[in-house]
Amino acid sequence: MTTVADSRVGLPPKRAGVGHWLAGFRAMLRWEITNMRLLLPITMMVQLLSGAGLVIGFGLLISDMPEQVALFLSTGAVVITLILVGVVMGPQLVAQQKLDGSYDFMWSLPVPRSASTCAWLVLNVFIAIPGMVGALLVAMWRYDVSFAVSWLVLPAILLTLVCGTLLGYAMAHSIPKPEITQLLTQFLIFAIFGFSPISYPAENLPGWLAELHEYLPFAHMANVVRDALTDGIAVDVGRSYIVLVAWTLLAAGLSGLVLGRRK
Amino acid sequence: MADDWVFRTVDVSKAYGETTANDRISIEVHPGEVYGLLGPNGAGKSTLVKQIIGLLKPDSGSITLGPFDLVDDPDAARQLCSYLPQAQMPIESFKIREAVHVTGLIRGGEDAAVRRRGEELIAALQLGEWAGTLGAKLSGGVRRLTGFIMATVWPGKIVILDEPTNDVDPLRRRLLWEQVRQLGSLGAAVILVTHNVMEAEKSVDRLAVINEGRLIAEGTPSSLKAEDRGRLRLELMLEPGAPTPDLPEFVRHDARVGNNLVMVIDEASATAGIEWSQRMMESAGAEEYALAATTLEDVYIRLTGHTSEEPR
Repeated sequence: MTTVADSRVGLPPKRAGVGHWLAGFRAMLRWEITNMRLLLPITMMVQLLSGAGLVIGFGLLISDMPEQVALFLSTGAVVITLILVGVVMGPQLVAQQKLDGSYDFMWSLPVPRSASTCAWLVLNVFIAIPGMVGALLVAMWRYDVSFAVSWLVLPAILLTLVCGTLLGYAMAHSIPKPEITQLLTQFLIFAIFGFSPISYPAENLPGWLAELHEYLPFAHMANVVRDALTDGIAVDVGRSYIVLVAWTLLAAGLSGLVLGRRK
Repeated sequence: MADDWVFRTVDVSKAYGETTANDRISIEVHPGEVYGLLGPNGAGKSTLVKQIIGLLKPDSGSITLGPFDLVDDPDAARQLCSYLPQAQMPIESFKIREAVHVTGLIRGGEDAAVRRRGEELIAALQLGEWAGTLGAKLSGGVRRLTGFIMATVWPGKIVILDEPTNDVDPLRRRLLWEQVRQLGSLGAAVILVTHNVMEAEKSVDRLAVINEGRLIAEGTPSSLKAEDRGRLRLELMLEPGAPTPDLPEFVRHDARVGNNLVMVIDEASATAGIEWSQRMMESAGAEEYALAATTLEDVYIRLTGHTSEEPR
């Protein structure tokens, strides 16, 4: 008869350990990539256009831009595209799963929660790269600036992406009503774009908001990415890394808590 | 069969605030068995299922499969149970073959064996024609069957199927029930969640009726029908909007769904029932009537006060 019959008489032992984790991670990554297949080209295109669009848009606001300002703004654009992937697009995908009823099926699958989360992170990294590269290339072409890319570019960008993605992930999974998640992501676009010192210095904000951003991750994301791409614009980068690592750990802990929790 | 485990829920209770979704539900399911979970919408079936697969935690009570405590160990629950939800599977971007294959891998199957078993199921349910088609382009019925294959390509010991035949055509329904039966020979037990009593009557070994969070009856279909032996079902179709007429004394129990009045009477009252129905057609706005043998549906109506065809 069927091929699984002989091996599946009696109760199997519980699967655990590194092999089980890796197999789950590989299979979930395959699921996530196939799942995004129809949307992936258009999502990457939108990322690319928003990255490039931001850089060009800044140029419309300020004519005759000095090089330092151009560097500041275009690295800000890079950071915004990275943040938007994690805290806006990701949560909206989770909300969609809750709306169409597939959420329960996905979480009934026998994959360690951390393996599913890592597959999700890898997918987000893939999606974010074109927008980031696009923003940088457009800035070089439009403002004739040159970036000083250091080896820190990899940790800076990964930390920014992972921190943002995990924050969005924890948020989307902990809010039961997907409609609320969708509203909140709309608000976050507004708050991050308009009221976070990413593409402008914190001094431009009212004192209390500037102070608040000392503890929120967004300004620090801009600082570490800027440090990795330019010379002499970013300051106090060590502190930024510390704040970001703390937020990443917090978001990972929250995600673990939310995903492990059964109501 | 070398399988000697038992799946048990003992006194499982779960409340959402003031609402009791499950009230001390105890069931027992054995390997090879197809066990029906019947009940009207909102009876608490889904809540019970979500506790079994580790998505919800019972307020009290235990859920075990052999030596595994599924409440304490939701990871084990997910490995041991496969689940076909009532909602369609999220496979817009997947070809049938891919969705089946990846799910089998996620469920811990070995690559070549998953592929083989997937192809067998695709052939058995006659889906070969669409095996390379994207989910977004499939009809509801074909997607439903694909979901069934995804849930059973590498089945756990407990396979939970929530309304598996929704949207499925009659021919493939029959093929699907054959595959449900085959799961037993793989050492699995099937928990069939449904509101379709007629279908359940034909396909389950035992069943539980759940209403308002409580298990109100359990047994084989024929043992549940025993009380209705020697009784008949009398159905009266009323004109749209007509009020329910006063019922004669020989009606044992009744339920109205839309314009359809379903009653159970003793065989001895058959003639009286026909005469009464004819009078209703002349004077009380009845359009037609039918007298038939009782089915599990009538038991279900007696127990729950609902018919299984009420809008969900």
